[in-house]
Amino acid sequence: MPSFLSLLLLSIILATVSAGSDYTERLLLRPLPQSALLASFNFRSNDSQLSFEEQNFRYFPRSLGQILQHAHTKELHLRFSLGRWDAESWGQRPWNGAREGGTGVELWAWVEADDEDEAFSRWLTLTNALSGLFCASLNFIDATKTIRPVMSFQPEGDHSNAPNLHLLHGTLPHEVVCTENLTPFLKLLPCKGKAGISSLLDGHKLFDASWQTMSIDVRPTCGIDGHCTLEMEQSVDMVLDIDRSKRPRDNPIPRPLPIEEIKCDTSKGYNAGDTCYPLDKSSEPSWNLTEVFGRSLKGACPLTDQEGENAETVCINTPPERTVDVNTTGSYIESRAVGDTLRCYKLPTGHDFDLNLPSQQMTTGLVLPSPPLSAARSINGHGQERGSIQTVITNPSPTSAVEFVYLESLPWFMKPYLHTLRARISASPENPVLETYYRPAVDRLRGTHLELRMRIPAASTLTLSYDFEKAILRYTEYPPDANRGFDVAPAVISLIDPAASDGRGQYVRTTSLLLPLPTPDFSMPYNVIILTSTVMALGFGNIFNLLVRRFVGAEEVVAGGGGLGALVRGKIDRLKGLLGK
Amino acid sequence: MSTPEGVDASSAPVTSSDGPGSSSTRHGAATSRRQPPPEPKDSLWLRRAVILSFWLVVVVLGLPVWWKTTAIYRAELPLQTMTDWADGKICKPVFPLRIAVEAPIAQQDAQHLVRTTQHALDDLNDFSAHHLRLMLLDPPLAPNASQQVVPDGSILEENDKENIALLVRLVSVETGTTPRSRLQPYSPTLDVYYTANQLPSPSSTGSPLATFIAHELHKIFAEEQARLAYLLSTTSGARTAKSKSLSAETAAELERQSTRALKYAPTYHLTFSLFSPTYLPSAWEIEEALQDYLSPLLDSFRSISNFTVDTQVQLYSTFSPSMRQPEYDDVLKAWTLRKEDLSGFINAAEWPLSPSIGAGPTVNFALYVPDQAQSPLLVKENGGNSWLVPQWGGIFILNPADAHEDSTPSFLAKDALAPAMHAFSDQLVSLLGLPQSPASLPLRLSTLTRVRAASLLFSASSTLGALARLYRALPSIPVPDMVAQSVDLTAAHLQHACDSLREGRFQGALEHARIAEGEAEKAFFERSMVGQVYFPDEHKVAVYLPLLGPVAVPLIMAGLKELKSMTGSIFPKRSP
Repeated sequence: MPSFLSLLLLSIILATVSAGSDYTERLLLRPLPQSALLASFNFRSNDSQLSFEEQNFRYFPRSLGQILQHAHTKELHLRFSLGRWDAESWGQRPWNGAREGGTGVELWAWVEADDEDEAFSRWLTLTNALSGLFCASLNFIDATKTIRPVMSFQPEGDHSNAPNLHLLHGTLPHEVVCTENLTPFLKLLPCKGKAGISSLLDGHKLFDASWQTMSIDVRPTCGIDGHCTLEMEQSVDMVLDIDRSKRPRDNPIPRPLPIEEIKCDTSKGYNAGDTCYPLDKSSEPSWNLTEVFGRSLKGACPLTDQEGENAETVCINTPPERTVDVNTTGSYIESRAVGDTLRCYKLPTGHDFDLNLPSQQMTTGLVLPSPPLSAARSINGHGQERGSIQTVITNPSPTSAVEFVYLESLPWFMKPYLHTLRARISASPENPVLETYYRPAVDRLRGTHLELRMRIPAASTLTLSYDFEKAILRYTEYPPDANRGFDVAPAVISLIDPAASDGRGQYVRTTSLLLPLPTPDFSMPYNVIILTSTVMALGFGNIFNLLVRRFVGAEEVVAGGGGLGALVRGKIDRLKGLLGK
Repeated sequence: MSTPEGVDASSAPVTSSDGPGSSSTRHGAATSRRQPPPEPKDSLWLRRAVILSFWLVVVVLGLPVWWKTTAIYRAELPLQTMTDWADGKICKPVFPLRIAVEAPIAQQDAQHLVRTTQHALDDLNDFSAHHLRLMLLDPPLAPNASQQVVPDGSILEENDKENIALLVRLVSVETGTTPRSRLQPYSPTLDVYYTANQLPSPSSTGSPLATFIAHELHKIFAEEQARLAYLLSTTSGARTAKSKSLSAETAAELERQSTRALKYAPTYHLTFSLFSPTYLPSAWEIEEALQDYLSPLLDSFRSISNFTVDTQVQLYSTFSPSMRQPEYDDVLKAWTLRKEDLSGFINAAEWPLSPSIGAGPTVNFALYVPDQAQSPLLVKENGGNSWLVPQWGGIFILNPADAHEDSTPSFLAKDALAPAMHAFSDQLVSLLGLPQSPASLPLRLSTLTRVRAASLLFSASSTLGALARLYRALPSIPVPDMVAQSVDLTAAHLQHACDSLREGRFQGALEHARIAEGEAEKAFFERSMVGQVYFPDEHKVAVYLPLLGPVAVPLIMAGLKELKSMTGSIFPKRSP
């Protein structure tokens, strides 16, 4: 229990990092069960609002700054995500889910505009420009993929012109996040991946992770004195499989260990010299930074503070008994906090730094905090015409009820029947839906936007289901891989008034869904053209012949009268005559 | 079924078809088969009418409708006019410059002086398209001011005053060498100092003062004339006024300058970037430096273009790996870059020098602070530390002043930035194509106005010509109405620009030429024109072939048979 408390403390400490300094960065490492390792990179840079408006960029990247100015965007949140967070074994999400997005790309922003049309045109400008900057297909976020959430998202920054701000939200669940998105992400950092913790970020390992999310958050913050700064926060969170990451890049195929090195369960009846039931590994695996990340940590980024808490840029969260060896030629400072479960290091500048954790038999472990909610969503039903969606949301807390907003953004070709919407709570007849916001889809113009405010009592499960109809698309609207199915964006669950709120909110996202739509035979148009043409030509030929030909009695037909057949027949007759002679 | 031949052959010998007697006569002549009765004339004609009407419907209605409905739309363009513009047949740009003379002497004397000076000037001028016209400015106290007759007969009106290129002010002095002149650096004014006895006498046709003024004026506008002459000579089709011949080295110098200069745009984005291979210096006093060193220059350019300025700091910016690393030179006691490596100095792959958002080109100015270990860093051949990248921007290597300090300063103050800012100003001036002389900035700016107007005029005209060639060369591209509208607008504005040039309203000419250029580019780069380039007419036919083929075969066969029978009935075949 002490370690659980300390974790709560820890998250508060990590959240309150950086106030006032212009550039801070921090890496938090946390070994997770099943030899997984969570690495949370966080970079934060500030520029004053004044110099931002005059386009004098120092820590804020010029490319992104100009885009924001051009599109009149006051607050921006951009997410690139891949994989699934395994909440059952990994516990609560990093940053309480506030710095992660649904699978693919998710973008939401507060755009300043006088009316909705202007806001939407600026939103298009923004998505197109970001698409170029991050080499992602963000320009495909059009009206059908854009919604205007009402309850789910709250601005994180301090905005002076709140009535003219429009929140727009778009998702691209089909987008595959890859190295080409990481490179521009690193270029936005002042130290550019050449020094500091960003030197650990390598595309090969990042996109090989079990779960990873990259986020960019821009928000204005104003002090009490009226001095405003623009804060940009970039973060990369990933869960690495240590065994998988340690495989050398030139020999990545896993091979079974020699049998001598495997610990066998000798209690099994079939255990013998050539049969073995492997025991679970009880010891923590050995690893170091260079092995796991594929790169070495090249010292500190000198732009961070040299004194104080923000100077400690690498932290590792392990039980106090775990051995952590530091391997560096420079001078470093280690400090311990939160009951020794958090060890932080001030890195040397200009010298490589490495943490070495040997294999160790552990007696204690960290208690991972459990998530406030867990959610799973699936498509049920069969056939090409209809289906239904079922979402199961569980509140594991034995004592407190949870209130949340469930946001669903469905593509227009998936048409829900709202009258079939059912929300049931296990072992309770009450209706959990408190408030509904629904904006129906318009074919080819906009998608469905459904927001439900719900309340789920302690230790119970909520089941939400509704039926939908699959639309038939036009021939040209199918993508090249139409038979793969169409991605449906993850549902976003945002908790209302969570206990440990830091102004960012708490979020849980479901996985994305794959919706199979009826797909036509794509050679159909040509078949139709050819078939129709043949029928028309047949009809035409008949009518034309009836009109043009002369009809005579059958016995009146002239022998060998015309046509190819007659010609051939004539030739044969002549040949016969010649042969008969 | 009978064939036309069969009908012809049988119709010749038989007289009556249905008579029972005739059948017995045929028994002996041919086989046991009965011949079909001869076809009545009216059914023959009916069949021909049917075939003809089918053909008519197909040819007159079907094919045109099919062709029309599947055709791509091509708006009508005034091709001949466009080609004429490109060939310079419509507009021969001329540059009549008004030069006002202000003389504190009697009216007749002043007029005489102006007349003799104009004569001298005309003798000097060998470039007919560009000529200077002297006008006598009203003396401040003269009555009847609007009726002053100027030498070439036109009347100097009030609204012409803003189009005066240069004011020549005659100042009578007693001391110093006379005549002498002084060009004011910040106003388009030439002060000429003279003594009273240098004024031409009413009877003489020349005087040292007149000759002097003429020579001075000629000298001031020499570079402008050279530029315009170069522009006219390089533009294809503009075969006008090639009387002024340029020496080879002048032409080479002008070419060098014109390849350096950026294309004209109403807005330029200036980006000042601080690059450092390490993390130092990470801050610079750029706002103040820009305010002090650059704002005055930008303000003076406002009449021609607008500017936006942005700055950035980029640390850990290393050279690209393909570039040859700097070498230490013992003689210079400095690290040196070879001149041929300068083109690879900018690491375009890693340094974030993306163009700014918004219309208009971006001019980049890069300030590079080398690592302490490689300082000072110079260009090997000439020991310089700044250079210009044509049509892109400029680079300045700032070697920290205190070389004996053991580390690069973490902060660049305004004074440390001064040399860099001066270099950037010079580079900006050349990138904008501002001429080197004369010394007066307003004069150089007005020269730039004229050169820009002329070059925009030529480039818009040649774009029109290129569009006309494209229209003719690719008959399968669609041309929407937007293009035709843009072309019309371009031609109209080109005409306005040309007229404005002729009337000496150069600012107006620049405005019109700017619009014309924009519209011409819009027409040429119309996006929907490229959509169907790769969908030729053959595809259209191929898709409809399953219909056209089976329909066409019976039509053609029936038509051929009928034609054959008609020719057969006119020239009857001799039966064997």
